[in-house]
Amino acid sequence: MGWLSWSSNPGQSSDGGRIAPNRTSRQRCWEARDHFFFCLDNNDIIDSVKGDKDARKKCGKEIAEFESACSTAWLKYFKEKRVMEYNRDKTIERIKKEDAATVQDLKSQGWTAR
Amino acid sequence: MSIPLRSLTRTLTRVSRTTHNPSIIRPIVLQTPPHFRQIVSRTPAAAQFSTSPIRLKARTIGQIRARNATGPFSWKSALLFVLTGAGMIVYFRVEKERLERKRVAEMSKGVGKPKVGGPFVMKDLEGRVFTEEDLKGRYSFVYFGFTHCPDICPEELDKMAEIIDKVKEANKGENVFLPVFITCDPARDTPEVLKNYLREFHKDIIGLTGTYDQVKQVCKAYRVYFSTPRDVKPGEDYLVDHSIYFYLMDPDGDFVECIGRQDTPDSATKTIMEHINDWKREGKPLKKD
Repeated sequence: MGWLSWSSNPGQSSDGGRIAPNRTSRQRCWEARDHFFFCLDNNDIIDSVKGDKDARKKCGKEIAEFESACSTAWLKYFKEKRVMEYNRDKTIERIKKEDAATVQDLKSQGWTAR
Repeated sequence: MSIPLRSLTRTLTRVSRTTHNPSIIRPIVLQTPPHFRQIVSRTPAAAQFSTSPIRLKARTIGQIRARNATGPFSWKSALLFVLTGAGMIVYFRVEKERLERKRVAEMSKGVGKPKVGGPFVMKDLEGRVFTEEDLKGRYSFVYFGFTHCPDICPEELDKMAEIIDKVKEANKGENVFLPVFITCDPARDTPEVLKNYLREFHKDIIGLTGTYDQVKQVCKAYRVYFSTPRDVKPGEDYLVDHSIYFYLMDPDGDFVECIGRQDTPDSATKTIMEHINDWKREGKPLKKD
């Protein structure tokens, strides 16, 4: 539960630094993130920043868990990364389809792939 | 490389064909037996390239004839030829790869070439001053990151830990490899924070931190992009964008190669060991203690 106190009252190290999340708390944050994203997937929500209201309504339990396990900067990072990866995958898919269509088109004109 | 190799093979084939061609030696031998030894000794090339020097020892025509009866292409000479050829192909491939690596390694040594690395002053986690001079003498493996990094740095550091162990094993425990973690976020990553963080990955990783300007300087030297804000309010939560490469530096402190996200611990270890072995083979100085 170090995370909650961490975001409101940062854990200072004795030499003035900020205590970083350790392996266990990172793991906990990643698991909470995966649960939350799984719920978003099931509800067809990609962008949980713009669709915050919707996400909170449909995945209330998961988002609470996610927010308690990760720091604010990480929450934002993971939510944005999800959108970025979705768009990236869609772009790759689109390019592949276009490529396939071009090949089909060329083949119909008598071109053969070597 | 493939062209000289092919022409060499062709020359070899031609030489062996000439020396083995019975139509050259046999008629002379049969017609003028007394001069046989002279003929052989007068053609040193034949003696040099012949795979059957026993011919010289033949004393009678009968022996010579018996030896030549099987023809020049006995299974032994054919096998020898094939093995030599295969051996040379393997040798040339290995040598080609070595030269290619050497070229990569020396690219950053030339004048006017892009230079990664260079002078910096930081502090290690015991508070000692650590400069680029402390990297020299061994192969160093430099990574830039920050402890509040959400997912990529921890993954890469786990990879780094595996690489450290694999490289150590491949070097039979010799201490020739120096893994270094330089923070891009000195405001939060104090020695204590870094020490606790790195301990979870590998005890051999040397953590370096410093002032904002020192970090800026080292990042500039290594061509690392980073986006750490200069004046951070205490308690402010933020992320740092930064380049995510491992930099392999040779014992002279020159940049050798980048290891990136696409590398696995095995492929990275392979690349690193190739460079270390090349360095050892050339007999250059390397600290091992």
